[in-house]
Amino acid sequence: MKLTRENFLPWLGLAARLALGGVLVVAGAIKIPYPYKAAAAMRAYELLPNSFASFFGYILPWFEVGLGLLLILGVATRISGLIGALLMLLFIGAISSAWARGLTIDCGCFGGGGQVAAGETKYLQEIIRDIALAVAGFYLYFRPDSHFALDNRGK
Amino acid sequence: MASKNRGPQRGGRNNEPDPVTRWIVIGMVSLVVIIGAVFTVVSNKSASNVALPPGASKEDGYGIVFNGDKKPQIDIWEDFQCPSCKRFEDANGAKILSLAKEGKAKVVFHTLSFLGDESVVAGMGGGCAAEQGKFLEYKSFMYANQQEEHSGTWTKPYVISMAASAGLDETKFAACLNKDKYRKWLTNVAAAGSDANINGTPTVVIDGNVIESDQQGINYYTADGFNAQLAKYGIK
Repeated sequence: MKLTRENFLPWLGLAARLALGGVLVVAGAIKIPYPYKAAAAMRAYELLPNSFASFFGYILPWFEVGLGLLLILGVATRISGLIGALLMLLFIGAISSAWARGLTIDCGCFGGGGQVAAGETKYLQEIIRDIALAVAGFYLYFRPDSHFALDNRGK
Repeated sequence: MASKNRGPQRGGRNNEPDPVTRWIVIGMVSLVVIIGAVFTVVSNKSASNVALPPGASKEDGYGIVFNGDKKPQIDIWEDFQCPSCKRFEDANGAKILSLAKEGKAKVVFHTLSFLGDESVVAGMGGGCAAEQGKFLEYKSFMYANQQEEHSGTWTKPYVISMAASAGLDETKFAACLNKDKYRKWLTNVAAAGSDANINGTPTVVIDGNVIESDQQGINYYTADGFNAQLAKYGIK
């Protein structure tokens, strides 16, 4: 089969789905057994009042796993991609803000989180990773066609 | 691209996705997410009317209090499974033990369970040890014999045998731990920690001031560093 733009893009879509969805499922699943820690990681950003931050820390991992599953299965790919991309923008904003305010925290993206020593922050890497994932999400919003997606059933 | 047609198109050759399968999957995933999220929020909420170990005080975030009428007040938020807490204990455990036992300060121990199930078992054991008036002995023994994080070693039978080695009444301790008597107390301690914005262990607070290691030029992982902080509050 000759490689053309038309038969290549669905593979790119599949890669975007698996990358964004896979990272979300893993990140969420790691945090689910340790809700107290996830809540503490959220509070460490000092962006929300304590009780709100804890609340979001408890529910975010479940949300990540759910969204990740939809992406991996390829269900409602367009809207899942958009939500995933917006979530990444939110993370990028939170991490940038922590960086700008001179906090020294771990993003807590994959468990962990909270205070770290001044030399141990990884803000730049965390932001670059989230930008890449946001790009994957926006790509799916504009070009949701992909291979092996439940969305394709009945086509 | 999605067309505007509605309803399933059986055997159709158009590009309409199958909305039934799609909504079933969306529904199932949403259900799991909602149930999981609600369960997590509810099970981490503080509850009233929970069994408190002797010495635990609601006013002090459900921590176990020694010398309630003394000053200054030292709050220690810790997790028996946390390696940094062991470092802190190795450097300052004896000092804190003497402060608590000799009545030189009000000392409040907050047993957090950041690190999951093994921390919960160890923490519940703290409550059971307090029943026998041996919280401090139990705590020291747990740190002295700390295992690698998440190694799976701290099961109930193992912790019961540790308590016995630390000189506690094994039968009483086992009865207490096996029925999860203090599980809800631990949840309340954790919820109080959230309210107090305790985001890591160990966190040491003296008279309401958080002493942060590696910041403010403090290193409380050495006896000298910690004693210097205590000295600021008149503790020798």
